[in-house]
Amino acid sequence: MAGGIVGGGFALGLGGLAYVNNKIKKYSGIGMGDGTSLNAWVRIHPSNSVTIAVARTEMGQGVHTSLPMLIAEELEFPLEKINVVHPQNEGPYANLFMAENQPRDIQSNLTLQQKIFAFIPNIITGGSTTIRDAYDQQRLVGAMAREMLISAAAKRWKVSRTSCRAETGFVILKSDNRRLSYGELAEAAAKEKLLKNPPLKPKKSFSIIGKSIQRLDVPGKVNGSAEFGLDVRIPGMKFAVIRHPSSLGGTISGISNQSKIEAMPGVEGVVLIEEGAVVVARTTWHAKNAAAAFELKEEDRQSMGETEVTKELWKALKGKSSKVWEDKGNINQILASADERITAEYELPYLAHACMEPMNCTVKVDGDSAEVWTGNQSSTFVVNGVSEGAGIDKDKIRIYITYLGGGFGRRGETDFVLRAAKVAKKFPGVPIQLVYTREEDMRNDYYRPAVTCKMEAAIKGKEVAGWKKRVVSQGALAGLFRRNIPMSMKPEDDPSSTEGLRDLPYSMSAAYTDLTILELPAQVGTWRSVGHSHNAFFSESFMDECSVQLAIDPMKYRISLLKDHPRHRAVLEKLAELSHWNDDLPEGKWQGVALHESFGSIVGEVAEIELDDKAIKVKRVYCVIDCGRVVNPAIIESQMQSGIVYGLTAALYGEITMKKGRIVQNNFPNYKMVRMNTMPLITTHIMDLDEYPGGVGEPGTPPIAPALTNAIFAANGHRIRSLPLSKHGYRFV
Amino acid sequence: MVLKINGKQYTVEVEPTMPLLWVLRDVLNMTGTKYGCGVASCGACTVHIDGVATRTCVLPVAAVEGKEITTIEGLGSESVRSAVQQAWIDHQVPQCGYCQSGMIMAVESLLMTNPNPDDEAIDQSITNICRCGTYQRVRAAIKTAAKRLQADTVNS
Repeated sequence: MAGGIVGGGFALGLGGLAYVNNKIKKYSGIGMGDGTSLNAWVRIHPSNSVTIAVARTEMGQGVHTSLPMLIAEELEFPLEKINVVHPQNEGPYANLFMAENQPRDIQSNLTLQQKIFAFIPNIITGGSTTIRDAYDQQRLVGAMAREMLISAAAKRWKVSRTSCRAETGFVILKSDNRRLSYGELAEAAAKEKLLKNPPLKPKKSFSIIGKSIQRLDVPGKVNGSAEFGLDVRIPGMKFAVIRHPSSLGGTISGISNQSKIEAMPGVEGVVLIEEGAVVVARTTWHAKNAAAAFELKEEDRQSMGETEVTKELWKALKGKSSKVWEDKGNINQILASADERITAEYELPYLAHACMEPMNCTVKVDGDSAEVWTGNQSSTFVVNGVSEGAGIDKDKIRIYITYLGGGFGRRGETDFVLRAAKVAKKFPGVPIQLVYTREEDMRNDYYRPAVTCKMEAAIKGKEVAGWKKRVVSQGALAGLFRRNIPMSMKPEDDPSSTEGLRDLPYSMSAAYTDLTILELPAQVGTWRSVGHSHNAFFSESFMDECSVQLAIDPMKYRISLLKDHPRHRAVLEKLAELSHWNDDLPEGKWQGVALHESFGSIVGEVAEIELDDKAIKVKRVYCVIDCGRVVNPAIIESQMQSGIVYGLTAALYGEITMKKGRIVQNNFPNYKMVRMNTMPLITTHIMDLDEYPGGVGEPGTPPIAPALTNAIFAANGHRIRSLPLSKHGYRFV
Repeated sequence: MVLKINGKQYTVEVEPTMPLLWVLRDVLNMTGTKYGCGVASCGACTVHIDGVATRTCVLPVAAVEGKEITTIEGLGSESVRSAVQQAWIDHQVPQCGYCQSGMIMAVESLLMTNPNPDDEAIDQSITNICRCGTYQRVRAAIKTAAKRLQADTVNS
């Protein structure tokens, strides 16, 4: 498909419109097994079991359970008899929430932006959008299927529809309890046309939604049978390992010892592609060994080291901004007339994703068609990557999306797909599994940007009258878009760089935020919670600095500034109760608090530490989340723990640095992780308000770093304005 | 070379220096044991060698010839899960699940030598990395499995 849609010369005449509408609605049902589909998501088998198409990838956030829960609730079908399949890349499955960052109105036609997303189609799992996108729409999908089944039964029994009811996979005639299974009815039901959308169940009638239903994927994950991308095994396949250029932005122009490598045990071929040098072998180990032995002709393009990166970041903070993102009230006037001013400058490093499963993709090219097996957060991007890498028409690519051994925003990129496709093209008919070793994975990440921030507060009396906020970054989302989506975005227009810094809920007369884009050698991308991952550290550390200056308790001070935000206030009040904030802590224990809204949810966290000189024990974390309506409480709680540990690891140890234009860190020994012995006890409370659902995958991460550094300040008066803590000499016990 | 894995014999033609991890994954297609780091730092590659939890990504296959190798696929059976596996389901431990084979193998081995581990013993023995942060549920599931195994021992 050439170019984009709007502005790409696409003629939206009547024929064109019909084509668009057809493509948006068309689904093939490939891979969903026997039986009859009632719509793009629900296929009923004669055995009276159901396969549900879940077009969102399972990376531990439970979507292979939570989305079927939404459908099953309305469909009236037992979850235990549901099988989940990731469908092909087709219009109905697009992530329409992402089109406008708004819930889709299921009663109206699609907006133009939504139509564009459905036409491409943009199928993406990310931005903590899955439930926000699916909550109404997937329930409607289940309800419509149920009504079609009831209509078919009513016709067969020659009764009115209201004489029937649906229950656990059967339509039952109320008068005499005779029943027909969905399996028996499906073929007839598929022909039924509904005149209007059926109403959805009220919350009080839910029997599945809101419960901690056990996850459908867990049994396979305790016996080794669950298949990740790296586990794909196809007869005749070969394994390929790539070595990227050692230097950022560098190139490899040749392999000096190619014949020696080709003669190494197990090696079947050597391929030099634009992105790196690749060994193809009969096992990953043979390929890995051979790749390590490459003598490469490399052209370095970068020589920057860490001191320079820091210098550039601080220099940019003093310069002219690229774009103003918030300008409420008159901040300069407020600052000029302030009784006092507080200023603080912060710096945060690049961070790696370090998914447990290194990047990989398996591709088989057969003439003008291809098959691809991989774990990826976007089947759209996978199709694009294979199409570009192997020159295959998008309609001739069959996708198999596996489980992901961690996503965190890294597996929504297509670098590994592109490389696998390029290599597979050179071995027609042979499935090629291209693998990044841990070292290649860590050195060729799309990192969370390195960021600096300057905060200035104007104090008037006992109040903060205004905040002036300046941030320097590289544009993470713009990077992802530029690489993967036909709609490009200028880095300064990337909203993610200032998200969580602008439009804060705290009452102030003036608030100003600007962004300066600084291009640096390392590639950047979306890291769990994206801009919030750094901006919450700035805003919640600074909020603490203000409350210290005013000599007001940090929890109490925040609550006092949230008069217009009852949901935020309620989260903090609950958090204070949960963490016993207002009680005296035992000797040797200190607490710090942070509150942050992201991806439609409000999260408050208190970190409780023990500190002995420079030895920190993070003993407990208290977490309160308001994510509106709850689909599966156990999944939400595990996601809060997950987000907290991810952010805590970064706060304690996380730092990706450069030396002479090369990334320094390459494996877990030099990129440390929180493990069992440094894991705090996390207590979570879910507010469970009857509001539209918010996201849950990312919101747990932003508050933990500032909650922790605020606790350290409470303990020893050391105000920490840069991370990781390990570089300030702290160790973790 | 003949390897004894999960009670069966497998004949493989591989270099003696090939790490057991890759023999399992790429030669025998037993992909339950995972590759996470290749330097024995993360524990995703953990199996049992004569009942002892051992990382396999740098363990040459020649070193395990003649020994009893147990992988995640060899725990429990088709119809009956091990106590640890059942506890893992009851506590809904896994998230992405990639580290869990290695984690479970480490835990199984711990419980064989220390049937009632306290928190300190758990901290010291279970050093696997979990990027999804399931440690709290791992700890709870270990305690549940330990209790159940002890009850079985008492009852039998």
